[in-house]
Order: sequence, then C-alpha cells, then structure tokens
Amino acid sequence: MNVENSKAQMRKGVLEYCILSILSGKSRYASDIIKKLKEAKVIVVEGTLYPLLTRQKNAGLLSYRWEESTQGPPRKYYEITDKGKEFLKDLDTSWDELVNAVQLIKVEK
Amino acid sequence: MKKTLSINLSGMVFNIDDDAYRELQVYLSQIESHFADAEESKEILADIEARIAELFKERINDAKQVIVIKDVEEVIEILGRPEEIGESGDSSGESKKERFGPSGYRRIYRDPDNRVLGGVCSGMGAYFRIDPIIVRIIFIIGTLIGIGTGLIIYLILWIAIPEAKTTAQKLEMKGEPVNISNIGKSVKEEFNRVRKNMNI
Repeated sequence: MNVENSKAQMRKGVLEYCILSILSGKSRYASDIIKKLKEAKVIVVEGTLYPLLTRQKNAGLLSYRWEESTQGPPRKYYEITDKGKEFLKDLDTSWDELVNAVQLIKVEK
Repeated sequence: MKKTLSINLSGMVFNIDDDAYRELQVYLSQIESHFADAEESKEILADIEARIAELFKERINDAKQVIVIKDVEEVIEILGRPEEIGESGDSSGESKKERFGPSGYRRIYRDPDNRVLGGVCSGMGAYFRIDPIIVRIIFIIGTLIGIGTGLIIYLILWIAIPEAKTTAQKLEMKGEPVNISNIGKSVKEEFNRVRKNMNI
C-alpha cells in the first residue's frame, strides 16, 4: 500500500466525471481536454485519456466530428450528447453525496 | 552522416533516425499489447498514433527535419508508458483475461517470418517445439502417399490457423510469457533480423 497508488486510484475514479464536466462547458479537441485535466492535476499522462474517451463515445455519452488541421492529421472534436448530459447530472448528484458523506465521516470520527 | 528511415503515422510522413525508430517500434508494440484486450483497441491505437504524429510535427522545422531519439523519448513521456497508463479501459470490475499469464500459454499460429508457403509448418514447429523441416517432410510424405491428402490437410490448416501478426501473438506462438519486457526484446530481435537480411 503506498500513498501514491491510493492517490492515483482516487484521481482515476473521478476522471470520467471530469471529462464529461469539461465537455459540458464547451466542446473540445482531445488535446484541450488533456490540457484542462493537466492544469487541474487530475491526469499525468495523456495515454490514460484515449481509452476513456473512446469508451464514453461508444456508450453514447460523447460524439465527435473530424476537423482538418494544418498542424498534423485530422483531429477529433468532441462534444457531449444529451445522454451524456443526463449521465453527468447523475454523477453530479452522486459526487455531492460522496463529498458530504466523506465530510461527515471526517467530522464525526 | 546518418541514415534515416521514412515512416507513416496517421497518414503523415516523417523522417526518423534509425535508433529513434527502434525506440518508437518498441513503444508502439508495448502499447498495442497493453490495449489488446480492450474492445476498442483499434480506435485507441489510432488515436494514440494520431497524437504522436501531432507531437512529432511540432518537433520538425526547416532547421531540423528528422525525428531523433530525444523526440521519441519526450513523446513517450507525454503519452505515458503502458504501466503509467494503467487500466486499459476494460469495463471496471472485470478481471483481465489470463493473457499475460505465466509462461507456457501457447497457441498455434502460422509463422509469417519463417514461411516457405503459408507458415503452417513453422507455426506447428514452434508450437510443438520441433524443427519445421520435420513437419514439412511429414506433409510432403503425406501428399505423396495419400494422393494429395497431405496437401489438402495443409490447405485446411493454412485457412484455419491465423497468422501471428502482432508481437504479442508471436510470443504466444513460441509459448513465451507476454509481458512488456519480452515484447520489447522481441521487437528489437525482429528489427535486427530484418537489418541482417537486408545487410544494412
């Protein structure tokens, strides 16, 4: 049991939630999503993002379109779907409940 | 003066140094193996390749036209090594298939690197750990004696047995454990073998 592992686990748990949150604000390229996640220190390496994005897309929570780019190959431009927004609302509630629960435990220990 | 190789990532062409190429090859094989069990592995790999192309493009200009090993190392750090990427994206809760199990997990594949016709005999040789020549002789004798039976069986096997395309499959064919260091070793060996054959 090392603390870095546990921290990484916590971050990983909220990653999907964060991706949906970020996209609910504005549609973005994958590299922009990564930038936001890095700024918030939730993600360390970009490779973690791609499987999650693909899974969420396949679950219908996100959609993308291709955008041509002068700086390289065409890029995927992601946006959240209605289903994704519903999913996010659910996660929002769940997150609030979780935060409250943990607070309670910390206070009452 | 150094020699460069030409590679294609997501439809973009790059000139890359010999040693940088090897490093990239190893990395891509490891990543491919890491995501092999995920349903969407092709898509994930395509996304990663496209991102690598983007990152490479940023590192190329008129004064520096070739990707060098430092570039590859930087890109690997940005994208993350397989261990750092962690969970390969399978639905949570499911334990990974016993793919990276202890050594000895073998499957029959056709061996494309040692083929005379379809790689059937070398694939069988690898699985049963006998010299492919012995298998070939058996088939030839079977064909001569059995009025073509050997040939028919060979053709059936050619169709039925899949070719070992990825490095992980080639390791499985030989019954070696499929882990990150083995894949790295295997890719390097392949690279050296191709070089020898081409006398580079």
